Amino acid sequence: MPTADFKHQPLVLNYRQGLGNFLSLHIGRTILFLITCISVLSVLLIFFFIVRESLPFLQKFRLTEFLTNTGWYPQAEKPQFGALALIVGSFYVTITALLFSVPTGLLAAVFLSDIVSFKVQTIVKPVIELLAAIPSVAYGFFAVMVLAPWMQRKLGFTTGVNALNASFVLAVMALPTIVSVAQDSISAVGRELREASYGLGATRMETIFKVVIPAAHSGIIAAIILGMMRAVGETMVVWMASGNATRIPHPWWDLSGSIRTMTATIAGDMGETAKGCDHYRALFAIGLLLLVMTLCLNVLSEYFLAGAVKKTGTSK
Amino acid sequence: MRKLVVCGLVILALVLTTALKAADKALQIEGSTTVGPICDAFTEAFNKTYPDIKITVTKNGSGNGAAALIDKRCDIAMMSRFMKLEEFTAAVDKGVMPVAHTIALDGVCMIVHPSNPVTELSIQQIHDIYIGKIKNWKELGGPDMPIVAISRDTSSGTYETFDNFVMKKVKMDAGIEYVSSNPQVHARVKTTPGAIGYVGIGFLDAEVKGLKVNGIMPSKETITNGTYSLSRPLFLFTNGFPELGSLSYNFCTFYLSEKGQEIINAKGFVPVTHY
Amino acid sequence: MKVIARSILDNIFTALTWAVVFIIVILLLLILGPILSRGTNAVVFRDTIEFRKMQMSLFNRGTEAKLTAEISEIAPVRQKAYDAIDKFKSGIDTESLTEQVRKIYRDCGQELSYKELTPQQYTEIRSSLKEIRDRLQTAFASTDKAKIAECIGFVMGYADDERFKGTSAGDFFRIAGDFQKSAEKIDLAKHRQYIAAADEMEDLLTLLLGPPPGKSLPATAMNQFGATRWDLAEKLMDNLLWKEQWVPQQEGKFLVKIRTERAKEFAGTEIEPLFDYIKNNLEKMLKPKWQFYWQYFIDDSTPGHYFGGVGPEILGTLLLTLLSMLFVIPFGIVSAAYLAECASDNLVIKIIRMCINSLAGVPSIIFGLFGLAFFVLFLLPAFGFVSKPCILTASLTLSILTLPVMIRASEEAIKAVPFTYKEASLALGASKFKTFMSVTLPAAMPGILTGIILSLSRVAGETAPILFTGAVALGPLPSSIFHTTRTLSYGSYDMAVGDRLAAMVPHNQYGMVATLVLLVLCLNTSAIILRSRLFKKLHGH
Repeated sequence: MPTADFKHQPLVLNYRQGLGNFLSLHIGRTILFLITCISVLSVLLIFFFIVRESLPFLQKFRLTEFLTNTGWYPQAEKPQFGALALIVGSFYVTITALLFSVPTGLLAAVFLSDIVSFKVQTIVKPVIELLAAIPSVAYGFFAVMVLAPWMQRKLGFTTGVNALNASFVLAVMALPTIVSVAQDSISAVGRELREASYGLGATRMETIFKVVIPAAHSGIIAAIILGMMRAVGETMVVWMASGNATRIPHPWWDLSGSIRTMTATIAGDMGETAKGCDHYRALFAIGLLLLVMTLCLNVLSEYFLAGAVKKTGTSK
Repeated sequence: MRKLVVCGLVILALVLTTALKAADKALQIEGSTTVGPICDAFTEAFNKTYPDIKITVTKNGSGNGAAALIDKRCDIAMMSRFMKLEEFTAAVDKGVMPVAHTIALDGVCMIVHPSNPVTELSIQQIHDIYIGKIKNWKELGGPDMPIVAISRDTSSGTYETFDNFVMKKVKMDAGIEYVSSNPQVHARVKTTPGAIGYVGIGFLDAEVKGLKVNGIMPSKETITNGTYSLSRPLFLFTNGFPELGSLSYNFCTFYLSEKGQEIINAKGFVPVTHY
Repeated sequence: MKVIARSILDNIFTALTWAVVFIIVILLLLILGPILSRGTNAVVFRDTIEFRKMQMSLFNRGTEAKLTAEISEIAPVRQKAYDAIDKFKSGIDTESLTEQVRKIYRDCGQELSYKELTPQQYTEIRSSLKEIRDRLQTAFASTDKAKIAECIGFVMGYADDERFKGTSAGDFFRIAGDFQKSAEKIDLAKHRQYIAAADEMEDLLTLLLGPPPGKSLPATAMNQFGATRWDLAEKLMDNLLWKEQWVPQQEGKFLVKIRTERAKEFAGTEIEPLFDYIKNNLEKMLKPKWQFYWQYFIDDSTPGHYFGGVGPEILGTLLLTLLSMLFVIPFGIVSAAYLAECASDNLVIKIIRMCINSLAGVPSIIFGLFGLAFFVLFLLPAFGFVSKPCILTASLTLSILTLPVMIRASEEAIKAVPFTYKEASLALGASKFKTFMSVTLPAAMPGILTGIILSLSRVAGETAPILFTGAVALGPLPSSIFHTTRTLSYGSYDMAVGDRLAAMVPHNQYGMVATLVLLVLCLNTSAIILRSRLFKKLHGH
């Protein structure tokens, strides 16, 4: 007996239904559809308004100059709006944060999915989720009040608020995202692959590295990209802990100096900027850049997650 | 389910009724973070004598204060610099007549960490530090430590004064750390041995060390008699002169009273008059 | 590779993963530990009589009678300290003494003019007074003990003069006597130093014990009371007993902090025993007691959060979160219901899902920019309101922030309802809509509730979206949704970096962050518990 198809109602009236029912059903559904479209509307509105506020700026100052100049002097006599140092700053903290959090996150994900029993999982998973629950302002507080003085006193840095401080805290913030997405995709790898590998005599480590992780690779890449998105978009921690110096670190590996990210610039400058002036629009232009970047990363992560679904045949 | 709906309706009702309650007499004050602490303290004193008046002090920079006054979004604009020509013309165009009340005098002080042996700098030296020419304290007779220069590159009046007297429109070096308020400069300098920054004299206290500029130490006397070069008056701007006896008027003339002066003194600024 | 090597490697790997997870747990403790432990200091601490006085005066708390009894009990102990400094200062503060002497002369002159005297008597008395005044001034200005003795001797010669009895001139002689006594004891060459040091002492004592009784109270609440916490009092006492100075060691090198005993500065003077007196009697002067200040969570605070609690901040956070939930819950559940029940897998639905996912990925500061550009600068004027940040705009911004979270959680909850429930209901003849409302939705409710709680905790902790759409660091309690408000998240940021007074009260800094973290953690733990119970219920473990 065919099960009733709940998704497709027949367009033709059923003898049991009256006109009223039919109308209410379809009007009801249309209303629901329109309400659901609010989310689409929101994304479009966000894009529209940010573009609207930043367009005059982009028309007045050339885009190439905006992207390649390192001088950010919005209040000078002849204002200069070069965002390169800010883009590089965001890049620096994100990559360094990923350097800390990807290996740790993957190992933790492997731990949760392969190495321990379900019981231990139920204890450890909430702990990691707790890390995700802590608000970003509390992380920033920790970075400024506890980590920065420690760095200055014990590690002898010139300044405790610097790229390293911000990257470390961002790594801790990105960790739960990476762990949970990676663990989901590693767990979704079918038992058969693992069993086949063990059957051939591989140790657990070899199985994980040579069979499971490659099989779950798209999910893991998606996890990394999601962690990257979290790190790029984070504002409070970098605003409080990165020092906010609009510069590109001089020996490229020197993370002990202050840098400034795009998010911190927007947050820090917007409060004191007069609405409608060039500086204000330049901040929206930075916001547009950030938005475009995160949307691209989002699309990429979706692609990789879809790849993971295809491979392992399960949702998420 | 029904309970949720009822709760939601109750909250909605509460919210709407509070929205409909007329905004009783309120005073909106916006502007400089330098003048901010003085106005906060004035507000506290006012709240004792007028308990049902709501005074909101928003510290978001002199430029924003001016813009808010021009758009008639605030009653009083706190500014640590005088209004620029563009702001004046914009105000007049919108029918706003800015009137300045000088409530206190301030000096922009150079501060360093108390462990720094350097005691004085010339304006040229400060200029060179901030354009990146001098990078290490040993070039100034101090220890071998990189200079961590801190600035406020915003529409802040403190920055404008600093720019006026020291930078003289030359752009600062890229490596300057940027913070967004006076207390932040104070906090950074207090905790970083190699730091140098500039704050209003109200923020010069025992936790940081003030430097002599061109041989003159910033103090109440040197600011009042004009020998300290980086001094400036602090203003409250209103739209026209406030009506005599109104809340605005009382607020803008509070600095003349003994209590007002006590507050200004307590905050570390220089009162305009002396009891 | 040999089998043994491979298995060793395997064990190392296992140990490594254990170590990594161990490190993560340590990190969690490291981050939460200081925040929560120092935060509890704001609620549970040893307070002093000054705290109770402040509570009485600012919040009307405590029994008046008991407080007055305590104050009168400690008054004599404190008065000794105040008096000691006053006497010392009055003995050597020659500038103020000169002022006083001048004033007495003026007052005497006034009094004389009310008496009935012949012009000759009047001039005579006045010139004697003038002579006394001038001699005193010379005495104050000189550093030669012999000269001082001579001048004071001259002045005291008039002490028993009939004409000066009962007038203010009596003060001349009192001052002269005090000055002579202190002049004998101190090294007059150093008296400027003594005055500066004594001023410092007086300031520190005022910080510790509050302004001396009888003097007019300062304007700001912060300065009206002494040390309100015992740990602060101990720190201040340490400051009082030990002077810290930055002293140059070598040319061009860092200055070094040196601690010297303040008592040594006053060696040989009559104020020297004061230091030991304060050290031994601090407890008697402040009467410390353990306090459980639970009203921290409902009290308002003085500017800079010097005194008081985080009541308005909690209220602001609750207002924002509840209001944003009010906006997002209906839209979220409805959208989730549509996506779960009615949507087919066509292009439009794919676009909608992609948009929801994009919304989830937008950084929080972009929401802030959007809130500013759309809600504050566009929507409010469009409806005829003044365009300024307020609770309404902030909550709308936050609701858009949590929309994807809400939709995802609700959709999962609705999808997780077993098919059999729906089939049974439909078999009984209920329409699709009725099935949804009576069967699916109630069954999905725990999951949706979990989603709501998770969204709540997310919204409570967000700072970036409300920075320019409705949050302020200092301001009155909002009287409507068209006003700005303080919140825990923005307040924590401001206390950590933006406020100079906050650095003097670290317990309040940590207290606010700890309150926020506790609030968020409680919400999250309840969501986790709810979810595990739900998991058991629906999957029958």
